[in-house]
Amino acid sequence: GSGINGLQPLESTIPDTERFKDAANLKLNCPNCSATFDFGGIVASNYYSMSYNGLQCKKCEHLFAPLQINSQLERSIRSHISLYYAGWLQCDDPTCGNVTRQISVFGKRCLNDGCTGVMRYRYSDKKLYNQLLYFDSLFNCEKNKNCELKPLYHTGDRDFPQEKLNESSIKALTEQNRNLFESNRSVVQKYLSDCARRYVDMGSIFDFMQQR
Amino acid sequence: DPEKYKFRTMRQNLSDAADVLDMQIEIIAEIVQNHYKLSASEFGDPTIQAQSEIHAVGRIVPESPSDESVNTESLALETSRMAGIGRRVRLNLTDVNEVSLFLGQIVAVKGKNADGDSFKATEFLPLPYPESPVSTADEIQTHQKALNGDPLKVTVITGPFTSNDSFDFSHLTNFVERLNTEIKPHALIMFGPLIDVTHPMIAAGTLPHFPHLKSQPQTLDDLFLKVMAPILKNIRSNIQVILIPSTRDALSKHAAYPQDSLDRKALQLPKNFKCFANPATFQLNEVFFGCSNVDTFKDIKEMPKGGNTSMRDRFDRVSEHILQQRRYYPVFPGGITKKLLPNTEGGNKVYEHISGADLDVPYLGLTEFVGNFTPDIILIPSEMNHFAKVEQNVIMINPGRFVKPWGHQGTYADISISAPDLDNGKLTKIEGPEPVYLHNVWKRARVDIANI
Ligand SMILES: [Zn+2]
Ligand SMILES: [Zn+2]
Repeated sequence: GSGINGLQPLESTIPDTERFKDAANLKLNCPNCSATFDFGGIVASNYYSMSYNGLQCKKCEHLFAPLQINSQLERSIRSHISLYYAGWLQCDDPTCGNVTRQISVFGKRCLNDGCTGVMRYRYSDKKLYNQLLYFDSLFNCEKNKNCELKPLYHTGDRDFPQEKLNESSIKALTEQNRNLFESNRSVVQKYLSDCARRYVDMGSIFDFMQQR
Repeated sequence: DPEKYKFRTMRQNLSDAADVLDMQIEIIAEIVQNHYKLSASEFGDPTIQAQSEIHAVGRIVPESPSDESVNTESLALETSRMAGIGRRVRLNLTDVNEVSLFLGQIVAVKGKNADGDSFKATEFLPLPYPESPVSTADEIQTHQKALNGDPLKVTVITGPFTSNDSFDFSHLTNFVERLNTEIKPHALIMFGPLIDVTHPMIAAGTLPHFPHLKSQPQTLDDLFLKVMAPILKNIRSNIQVILIPSTRDALSKHAAYPQDSLDRKALQLPKNFKCFANPATFQLNEVFFGCSNVDTFKDIKEMPKGGNTSMRDRFDRVSEHILQQRRYYPVFPGGITKKLLPNTEGGNKVYEHISGADLDVPYLGLTEFVGNFTPDIILIPSEMNHFAKVEQNVIMINPGRFVKPWGHQGTYADISISAPDLDNGKLTKIEGPEPVYLHNVWKRARVDIANI
């Protein structure tokens, strides 16, 4: 703990819209017609709808089997983890902009001659942790019911949904898809349970308490 | 120590990574100094101008940090913090006739930095090969008795276990039958991926309906339990099965190398299955096996210089590099696989990241040879052509993948090692207060790469 000056607001109090602003969307492919779309939970979309029997492609009306969602979700999580482990570094000096996978034996030192910039992982562990939390939120029944999810589209976007979903149908659809969402969520939780950052965050809270 | 692999992933610290990369140079520097009986004063800082010739140990890196495609004209040597405050110097190889280099390799080199700009190499000192393991006479006799004089038989298979366009496990079903009735090994070493997370049908979500199942699998873990595990459970209980994961295994939540073992109970596999880490070093009787499941043979983008070096078989050279570097995956940065996307961003090519070596750099110490000796047999599966060869008295094997991408039969490795015998002259005695014996497995083993 770095004392009172190092105190940050508890991350869970930051609204998801803000917290997940840099998170990548979950892209799904329709196994039947190969349409691809962004999945954003039980929200309005021109491409998919949540029916009482699960996720449905609007183009061909294919109903996704749970494994057809979960396999793509897991693959997507693993691509993010693998990109994180590719270990791309970036120099923080904008006049240098060195992007490389080379690491100096002095870690933070930039390898461009004379540059005094500091090297950082371009895909930070904080960003990866947030990405996993974002995927987790999509299948969180409470957040779906309370309409707390990060919106997929903004007014004026080309894909901004034509139809809206009202709150009562979101609530009903969430309950109907609870089992599905629990299985989706278990896929994300598998990786969150191995994510060291989550536990380090806990550690620093305890450090602070011991100081008092 | 399997407990050391149980670290949590997804939090690499750049300073910890740098410590490990620095340590790698220091470890080899000490080995070189002892082996060639050099005094500390014969080593120098190759990054600064000097009149005399010096010895230097460092890492082969690209001259420009952003350069990913290098050749022998565009390389530099990185020094350790102690030897050259971590500076890098351009390597001039004009005077070197024969050498083979790759990014991440630690080298010992003799030469001179006459102009302050580059280090002109005159000679690369070959790194000494680590020692082979030994056993006492008592141990040898115990292992001989356990085998009843029969040879030790080990079968090795490597995933993926389905083609790229199906989840049909009939090749595996048939092979398990052959294993039980015909091949009948003492042990089966099985490398992942069991369920390959980069399988094209997983990315596209086009997984099929499994008509013989009453309840369809919901997740990839469930797919293993319902479709693949029942096949593996048919392996006879007197065959010891050793499972080694891949970072492409959907079943592993630990998606980095070094990689924690799979969870046998969660996979609902019987007691004759043992789950080991990746990489893993272990003994079957006296024989030491070193198993690593990252594609070193593909990822070492070796740069040979000189006619004699280039003429040699590439797998021979790469095998020697692995032994000399004393690590199963000495490449740095690790390999990555990406896919060119049809769309561009302002005329620039756009790639999708698919997979990679996924090195957890702070933990690379766990990928070094255990106890500083070479295993008797090293198994490193690769997408490259299957092979089995002897390098520096170590048997190196790539069994080849079990099913080819388009569904054709793949290959497996069949290893047969005659029981150790103190009297038949095949073991080398090393005199001492208690004499010990080299295993000479390369003299006693027969390896066949056969169709599944
Ligand atoms: Zn469709
Ligand atoms: Zn810089």
